[in-house]
Amino acid sequence: MNHPNQATLALQAGGDLGPLARWRLERHLARCGRCRDEVASFQAVRELLPEVATLPEIRWNRLAAEMKANIRLGLAAGDCVRAEPAPLRDTPLFAGARAAVALASVLVLMVTGLVLQHPAPKPEAAAIEGVELQTTAHGIQVREGGGTLRLLDGGAQDFGMQINGRLRYVPAVTYTPGAQGSMGAGYMDPETGYMTVTNVYAE
Amino acid sequence: MAFLSAASLGAQEIPLPSGSIKINFPDGSPLLIAGTVTDQSRATARGAAMVIDLDLLLQLRNVSDRQIHGVTLRVVAQEVTVGGYGSVAYPSLHVGPGETFPARVAMQLVRPTQAVSASLVEVNLDGVLFQDLSFYGPDRLNSRRAMTAREMETQRDRDYFKRVLAQAGPAGLKTAMLESLTRQAERPRLDVRVIRGGPAITSAANPAPERTAEFAFLKFPDSPVAPVDGYAQIAGNEARAPRINVRNDSKRVVKYVEIGWLVRDQNGQQYMAAAIPTADPGLLMRPGGTAQVLQDAALNFSRDGRPVNVRSMTGFVSQVQFADGKMWVPDRASLEKEYLLGLLPPSNEEQRLSDLYRKKGIGALVEELKKY
Repeated sequence: MNHPNQATLALQAGGDLGPLARWRLERHLARCGRCRDEVASFQAVRELLPEVATLPEIRWNRLAAEMKANIRLGLAAGDCVRAEPAPLRDTPLFAGARAAVALASVLVLMVTGLVLQHPAPKPEAAAIEGVELQTTAHGIQVREGGGTLRLLDGGAQDFGMQINGRLRYVPAVTYTPGAQGSMGAGYMDPETGYMTVTNVYAE
Repeated sequence: MAFLSAASLGAQEIPLPSGSIKINFPDGSPLLIAGTVTDQSRATARGAAMVIDLDLLLQLRNVSDRQIHGVTLRVVAQEVTVGGYGSVAYPSLHVGPGETFPARVAMQLVRPTQAVSASLVEVNLDGVLFQDLSFYGPDRLNSRRAMTAREMETQRDRDYFKRVLAQAGPAGLKTAMLESLTRQAERPRLDVRVIRGGPAITSAANPAPERTAEFAFLKFPDSPVAPVDGYAQIAGNEARAPRINVRNDSKRVVKYVEIGWLVRDQNGQQYMAAAIPTADPGLLMRPGGTAQVLQDAALNFSRDGRPVNVRSMTGFVSQVQFADGKMWVPDRASLEKEYLLGLLPPSNEEQRLSDLYRKKGIGALVEELKKY
């Protein structure tokens, strides 16, 4: 089986893959536990390090000003290198249109900069206080501060089967939350063949 | 894209120091560690963090003179999560004296730093349940109660399928198995996030005002404890602080009660949300006495990534433990009558038997049931 590279898996974890690439990768992930684990690992780190989910601070106004100056410089340079006076139509209309295009480009750049200067809020998971228990793609986890303890379901996979002429998907893992601060998962371990019940608890 | 750049910082594997997993079984334990395999364990740097995969396979030998029906291990990663820990239990066992069985603990630790120290994880024996429901172990996780309840559910559901086999033969058993698998496939499932020690409302994106909602109750005729009334705080798809008053209708002293908590969404769909156990470890509820079942964690409900807002709630008594350690769980007929079989997850035994049927067919299942 050909596996996607690490960059593709990382993009999937961050939700940054395009629709076609995402569709192709999800087909692969549906039958490849190793790559699912990789994506889950990237997601875990993404949740753990919310700062990597946001863009680094960039001085967009300064960048926009520099680019505007570069555009002007480019236009001026183009005029200088012409061998002889260009057969430009010196009608005010042409000069105005060119200026309008340049100005519009700069405006688009500045608006983009402003939008990017106000990035989306950090993922909600990063703002959690206390001890958090939840299910994940491959098990259950307890998360506190910067650390996570995850008990994995050993690769147990949902299965499809024809029942009374209809294809049904039976989940391989059953989850049991507890209001006192616990989360449980029950599954048949595919390696040992024994029923296994994991639990995570908040102290 | 920013995440990609962080990811590209590296995913290099680092060897785990020896002694990363410490296994403690007390002297005199009925289980002996006959073998340990950890060669699938590894640590991987992910940007500034470290992801540690620990795959522990133990061969455990029963050195007692009784048959073992359940084992619970306690898993602690003190350096990773101070306020949390885990357990791995093996129910539905039938391990005779001198026999061995494999116990697997697969876990993943994520640390915010790349330092990997020795003794990352401790695995301790918390309890062993024998065929006669006697128990061995420190029981720090209340494993005795949990394993006894699972064993009773195991016997209840195995007896049910044995009765079906006796009355309707292999064809009837096959029908019952297909019904079970259909229920498992169609059971409405919620994604539940449990938060303890956090703010009252866990999501800043939840604009719904908090309200006090009252429980409705299902009552089983043979339940030793009856729910009287109960409330919880609800805000959109979040619920917290359930508190339920119960009365001991039996003639025995009760020391533990667990309430099953169902929620119904705006579309009328009902889900099993959580179990609510009594918080007081010193509870002793005398015949006719009352007590309050209450907890303080916050629960957040969603499905397929979308919040599931709570419209109403229902509770039912799901477990009772008496002062002498014996337990009560609802019988199968009561669960069926109240349409709970389609809402609750299957018992460990029903899950095990249906998995056996799916993988090996009706013949193997019939042979399995004949063993008991």
